[in-house]
Amino acid sequence: MNALTTLRIALRAILRSPLRSLLMLLGVAVGIAALIAIASVGEATRRETLEQFKRMVGTFDVVNISPGGARTRGMPSLTTVEPTLTFADAEAIRGGIPNVRRLATEQSAFDIDIQYRDRTATSSVWGVSADWMDIRGDEATVGRGISAEDNASVARVVVIGPDVRTALFPDEDPIGKTLRIAEVPFEVVGVLAPRGAGPGGSSLDNLMLMPVTTASKRLFNRDYLTGVTVQLQDPSKFDAARDAITILLRERHGIIPPVEDNFTISNPRAAVESVEAVGSTLSSILTGVGAIATLIGGVVIMTLMLMAVAERRREIGVRRALGATQRDVLRQFLAESAVIACLGGILGVVAGVAIAAVVAAQRNLPPVLLWQVMLGAVGVSALIGIVFGLQPAWRAARVDPIEALRA
Amino acid sequence: MKMISVEHLAKTYQRGDGTPVPALRDLTFDIEAGEFVTVRGASGSGKSSLLNIIGCLDTPTSGTYRLAGEDVSRWTDEQRSHLRNQRIGFVFQSFNLLPRTTALENVELPALYTGGPVDRGRARELLGRVGLKDRADHYISELSGGEQQRVALARALMNDPPLLLADEPTGNLDSASGEAVMELLTELNREGRTVVLVTHDERTASYARRELLIRDGLLASDRPLGQATEEAGRRPALTMVVGR
Ligand SMILES: Nc1ncnc2c1ncn2[C@@H]1O[C@H](COP(=O)(O)OP(=O)(O)OP(=O)(O)O)[C@@H](O)[C@H]1O
Ligand SMILES: [Mg+2]
Repeated sequence: MNALTTLRIALRAILRSPLRSLLMLLGVAVGIAALIAIASVGEATRRETLEQFKRMVGTFDVVNISPGGARTRGMPSLTTVEPTLTFADAEAIRGGIPNVRRLATEQSAFDIDIQYRDRTATSSVWGVSADWMDIRGDEATVGRGISAEDNASVARVVVIGPDVRTALFPDEDPIGKTLRIAEVPFEVVGVLAPRGAGPGGSSLDNLMLMPVTTASKRLFNRDYLTGVTVQLQDPSKFDAARDAITILLRERHGIIPPVEDNFTISNPRAAVESVEAVGSTLSSILTGVGAIATLIGGVVIMTLMLMAVAERRREIGVRRALGATQRDVLRQFLAESAVIACLGGILGVVAGVAIAAVVAAQRNLPPVLLWQVMLGAVGVSALIGIVFGLQPAWRAARVDPIEALRA
Repeated sequence: MKMISVEHLAKTYQRGDGTPVPALRDLTFDIEAGEFVTVRGASGSGKSSLLNIIGCLDTPTSGTYRLAGEDVSRWTDEQRSHLRNQRIGFVFQSFNLLPRTTALENVELPALYTGGPVDRGRARELLGRVGLKDRADHYISELSGGEQQRVALARALMNDPPLLLADEPTGNLDSASGEAVMELLTELNREGRTVVLVTHDERTASYARRELLIRDGLLASDRPLGQATEEAGRRPALTMVVGR
């Protein structure tokens, strides 16, 4: 008997007992739907987290140098960091490390009160050098960014984030207006493009940029940095760059082992990897869910197929009398359970994708279609049908035709 | 040519508790190709057991069974399945059609196991032959008993087997339907098919040309039957044999 005939007989048998077929189908579909929904939402969450992280750090292909040792945690702020990283350090790196393409310095501080006329707001302030916006990938949608001239002339100019604009200039053009940061007047020269949500969904747009020279000399009166961002010619040579910078800074800071470094060199990729690690925990949870779903679907298939075999002994006897071999009968029942399981898998995938779409819409996650997982789920379903259909099919093949026909 | 040849055929079943049940003890006879033979005997005498062995559904406990010269009792289950498919047509007392399936699909069944394509035209033709041309697409549940048995006959002919086996084919039918089925079997026999018929009913048996009488798993008598026209004169003897 050829495969097509087997399939046709299977389909007829499936249609002949619609209720039982539907039950088996659902048994598989429920598990697969859960699997697909969890996988899709999980992947969407992972991608969104990664995206949020990327929006926060701007770019992955850089070397970040921050003051303080490895145990320093959180966002570096002028009020919390050790005063170990200096403008001179930055210049030494720029001049002494071969792989450096561009370099940006920054002085950041948080929860700074700002005022425009009778409106007030609280925002972070970032003193930045000329290349900072470019390296990070920030742009001004209105006006301009912080330039080298601004830094050279120690200009009292700011580029404000969209949140600051909303808070202070809800219905007027901010360009050219003067706002006060800790009583120091600054002229607004630009508005940053929105970055969107950062880790945890918090806004990344409540900030102000100004020349790092101005921040240092006119606002904070500090001559150390909260961070140096180095863009490499060849980002893949991160390790070499880190080692070179480490040697350079140790020498400049007079650090001799076993004294620990008073600076930290990191790469956003490392942080990305920790996010990816969360993803892999997720996938191991998924594997568990998948196994349980498989088991439930398989048990349903096996139970109902055993019932079907018991009920259809006579049919089996007739087929055997008419020339069906044991193998024909085995194949027929296997095809039945495999086809049903496969259809159940397809239904489950469709339902799972629908559930994931609803959840994603509610949580503002990007829509995700995991083709490989979907295809795999259908394949696994067919496999469930075959594996769990094997015992019933075997039993069907072993039906004694004489006994089955006598009844 | 010998279609069927059995020698010292015996079949012993094992009951659930292990005690042996000898259904066939020692049977020896031949059936030539083209014969129309009826097997008669009391209930439990072993008729069905014999027919199952002849039909390659079962194997004898001892003795040999040759079908068209080949000792098929030694064949594997798979080989015997192919044999049933190609060489033997079955007709059962309880029709054994697949429910929730059309007449046509039932007739096609044997063709599914040939390995070749299914000739739907032939299936329709056969239904026409048994007088059910316009019932082809009816479900089995929509047909009368007589019509169902004719569907079963058409199905038995699907792969054009030389040997037809019928176990009480008229047992569940009224006399008119039964006669129609027997007419068909007679016609098929005239075409050259060998027919072996198991029945209790004299009238049904009278269509055959030869009668094997089985008693307690042994051959009690083997004799020719007259033509239908001679039937009336033979009746008393027949009744005597059965009456013993
Ligand atoms: N599978 C079996 N296990 C045990 N005993 C069996 C089995 N099949 C048949 N028998 C016994 O073998 C004997 C012959 O049975 P068989 O069915 O061949 O009789 P029969 O002549 O066809 O009877 P009937 O006219 O009632 O159909 C009976 O005593 C029956 O009980
Ligand atoms: Mg019987």
